[in-house]
Amino acid sequence: MKPTKPESTTAQSKPTLIELFILLARINTVTLGGGYVIVPVMATSLEKKGWMNESDFYDLFARAQAFPGPMALNSALLVALKLFGPKGIPAAFFGVVLPPFIALILVSGLIQRFGSLPVLRRFLDGAGAVVPGLIAAMIWKNAAKRSWNVPRIIETALLAVLLILLPAFSLPILLLAIVVLYCIEGLCKSWK
Amino acid sequence: MQILEIIWTFFKIGVVSFGGGWSIVGIIRNEVVPHWINEQEFLSLIAVAQSTPGPIALNAATMIGWENGGFFTAMAATLSVVVFPVLSILAATYLARFIKLRAIAINESLKTGSIAMMLMALWALKPSSGDPVLIAMALGAFALAAFTKINALWAIIGSGALNAIAGPAIRAFLGIGG
Repeated sequence: MKPTKPESTTAQSKPTLIELFILLARINTVTLGGGYVIVPVMATSLEKKGWMNESDFYDLFARAQAFPGPMALNSALLVALKLFGPKGIPAAFFGVVLPPFIALILVSGLIQRFGSLPVLRRFLDGAGAVVPGLIAAMIWKNAAKRSWNVPRIIETALLAVLLILLPAFSLPILLLAIVVLYCIEGLCKSWK
Repeated sequence: MQILEIIWTFFKIGVVSFGGGWSIVGIIRNEVVPHWINEQEFLSLIAVAQSTPGPIALNAATMIGWENGGFFTAMAATLSVVVFPVLSILAATYLARFIKLRAIAINESLKTGSIAMMLMALWALKPSSGDPVLIAMALGAFALAAFTKINALWAIIGSGALNAIAGPAIRAFLGIGG
């Protein structure tokens, strides 16, 4: 996953802010399917442009996952910070956020205009029906690649039950849980 | 004011939007159903958000804002959901010298958190209509997304197209309403 190419640890060229914005905007216009699809496209595009090699990008991506927020946005922000410092933030932010925003305004307008047509209604119902199936599939995939141990099984089950039973408190429960889990994982590491 | 409520709602969602897009869907549902949108509309909205360009939480914010006030509410909702993530990344770059957190422990705790969040999302969005055609499509989508490498987009579009074109005929054949 992380090819080590010592000769290419420094990128060959540096983009301008506009060039970074245009690349990100293009990727975020044509790539469908969310972060897991977009991130590899970003990695190869940045390397092809010679702005950042893939292993450097995946280091940033690993850090991006530690923050809340969409993976594509977080990765882009960290790329911009690395290439430009804080002045790169607007290029990354608008490159990721603007194309979907425009697309969704158009789609929302169309749905509002034609949503009462029975055929579109049935399309949206049919499309919505697969959502629980896709969530179940993501649980399946994430559970399959997780390295499980007894504490983690108990923690996952306990947190899921708490979130289901107390939906009104899901945000404080989650924030507290992340802190507690971090401490537990940290302690386990120091015991080894 | 409605727009302030929407801003606050999506700001909160942004704070806990950990993991890949699917983990936040249950949290969004808890915050917006039935206040801003009903259950059935929410499922369609997530399907649309997933099959259009852009992150699922952002797209959901844009659409819910649009339906509850129009363009400026959509813009406010979209910005609200990313305010906290952007600020936290900026803060981390400046505070990294002072605070040393263990990256591995953070990632492991977020993995546990995101699987629990997805279990909650599945519980919140489990099929409730009892329509066997829609349940069959959910099961088909699970099989496709869990056991093949096909982009989940095709399950969404395929299921929508099938229900739009053949839905009434299938239900008539099975002898159920519609």
